Amino acid sequence: MSSDGENDDFLYEDDYDDAFDQDDEIDSTSEPDVYDALSPAIEEAPQKKPYDVSWKVKTLQEIIDMQNKEITKIQSVLEVPASSAAILLRHYVWNSEKLQEQFWNDPATALGEAGLSPPSSPTTRTAPLPPSPTKRSTRSSKAGPSSFLKRTKSQPPTSGPFECPICCMEFDQQAVERNTYSMGCGHRFCKDCWTEYLAGKVKGEGESAKIQCMESGCGRIVREEVIDEMVTQDISKRYHNLLNAAFVADSPTLRWCPHPNCEYIIQCNQAPTRMLNQLVPTVECKCGNDLCFGCGYAASHRPVLCKIVRMWEKKCADDSETANWLQANTKECTKCQSTIEKNGGCNHMTCKKCKWEFCWVCMGPWSEHGTSWYQCNRFDEKSGIDARDTQAKSRASLERYLHYFNRWANHEHSAKLDAEFYQKTEKKMEQMQNSGNLSWIEVQFAKQAVDAVIRARITLKWSYCMAFYLKRNNMTELFEDNQRDLERAVENLGYLLEQNISDTESISKLRQDITNQAAYVQKRHDILMDDTLRGYLERRWEFSVEI
Amino acid sequence: MSNLAQARLHEERKQWRKDHPFGFYAKPVKAADGTMNIMLWEVGIPGKAGTIWDGGVYKVMMTFPDEFPTKPPKCKFDPPLFHPNVYPSGTICLSILDEEKNWKPSITIKQIVLGVQDLLDHPNIGDPAQIDAYQMYKNDKNAYERRVKQQAIERRPK
Repeated sequence: MSSDGENDDFLYEDDYDDAFDQDDEIDSTSEPDVYDALSPAIEEAPQKKPYDVSWKVKTLQEIIDMQNKEITKIQSVLEVPASSAAILLRHYVWNSEKLQEQFWNDPATALGEAGLSPPSSPTTRTAPLPPSPTKRSTRSSKAGPSSFLKRTKSQPPTSGPFECPICCMEFDQQAVERNTYSMGCGHRFCKDCWTEYLAGKVKGEGESAKIQCMESGCGRIVREEVIDEMVTQDISKRYHNLLNAAFVADSPTLRWCPHPNCEYIIQCNQAPTRMLNQLVPTVECKCGNDLCFGCGYAASHRPVLCKIVRMWEKKCADDSETANWLQANTKECTKCQSTIEKNGGCNHMTCKKCKWEFCWVCMGPWSEHGTSWYQCNRFDEKSGIDARDTQAKSRASLERYLHYFNRWANHEHSAKLDAEFYQKTEKKMEQMQNSGNLSWIEVQFAKQAVDAVIRARITLKWSYCMAFYLKRNNMTELFEDNQRDLERAVENLGYLLEQNISDTESISKLRQDITNQAAYVQKRHDILMDDTLRGYLERRWEFSVEI
Repeated sequence: MSNLAQARLHEERKQWRKDHPFGFYAKPVKAADGTMNIMLWEVGIPGKAGTIWDGGVYKVMMTFPDEFPTKPPKCKFDPPLFHPNVYPSGTICLSILDEEKNWKPSITIKQIVLGVQDLLDHPNIGDPAQIDAYQMYKNDKNAYERRVKQQAIERRPK
């Protein structure tokens, strides 16, 4: 697994790139060497494999800088205010090329669609019911008390009181400037109504980039600085968090680290959705945990494709297998269709509900069995054969699923006991240091062996999910051979790690064995992983489901 | 009960009394003891002339939440109406009445009732709310029209 963020030979680089990955060269904050050095690996410096991806770990501040950089660029190219550039970019999902194309094609439409009326005609009123026009005649806007009021191009009334169309409060001429606000669209409302409305949108509905003017039918988007001035600090903070979350969610090359309390963002340009049928983009966050960039799974699920993982999890979670169990272990009364489970006794069944008597073996009526009771010899009858066939089929399918599920669950369970395993090993390491005169560094082999076992167990776990969906063919047999070799090696190493230490001599022998076996496990692990992941690229695997 | 909601609703009532579209009525409900509940309105919506809804006046109960006008009122036909976009409970499925869709605080009662009247003859087939009317509208237009006309006769004001 490579974590080489500086590597520039993008094997899957293509033309879908957009705003999100244009600052690749500039960013150099993630130095993967730091965490590589912390985790002692058995193998030497990792080499980048064709199925590995490069990624970078970003902080929230870097994500904000990325947005600001784009905004500044658009601001200078299109010669619009920063807040307009931001609204435009969000409308075009940060695709600055598409935005520029549309903008130069037809600036008025581009601005209008994004929720910004064109600058040349700020007074255009499209809303069906603007507040009484007599209350607003022309007068150029004086500098208002708040900074954003200066920018508005609306015309406050010259005479007469203004009534807020929402709360029906009246404001006299002096109060209008101070207590009311309208955007470029000209729809004026009092500030209390704005505050309540904006707070409700941000807090109640979690909206951020798409908050519109309060007038019905008006699509004008409220600018960032307006929201910041109108609402409390809490809500403004939440608003900006929502904006950042939307930026990350909208970007195909960014993903939040899914681990609890981790606020890093992963950037990866080499795992677009359409590559996920041949790539398992496992990456490591700065918080030290693995995740899948493709689907956001909060651990490595290599070597299994995201889509298969999703199918497997669904299969294990829903009760589709309950239905299979019912089919495999129960029969229906041939008369009233009640479901019956035979839990003992002879083959002469009497339905509790309708009192129908039948034979459990052939499902035919009991009356036809004559005197050969308790020994059904009517196996060739059509109805009986059909019933047995479907039952056999679902029984086989259930058994197959349970075979893979049990092994998957077994490794899952073992992996959950990680912490305990580490503790036990640590105790043993201390014991070895005390009794065997070994230095701290000399007993590290045990911890490395445990690391190898745990890593291999996770891979083994997923390999059973993979095998469940593989079609039976020669390739699958090779896969299962690799799987079996790894399984055996892991069990051997596990056994060695459980051994008790008696004297100095046995320690050195045990140490030799464990080191060897750990290296072997690592080798088998790498072979299975490498072969499987390469297999996707070579399209060697055939699945029983659509990928 | 919020003062903002009440102030706005009193103003709406004043505006409605001053001027309202022909054939409609809208008034806050009076309790048995004569006190007025400004948060619950009874509204009558006439079917547009020349449509299959003509002749009927359809009663809608509008319940205003304390958060009005930040949140929209809940509008319910009473009794429930045979219409593809009306839930079996009578609740109306309309974008301007959904705070996550097109509801805006500046929408007035007049705009709502006109919107509902328009919905009667222009059902939104992409967003069905009851099975009966939806399927009949899709599969058997003639039967649908007969049923709607029958309903208009039943709901004719006495």
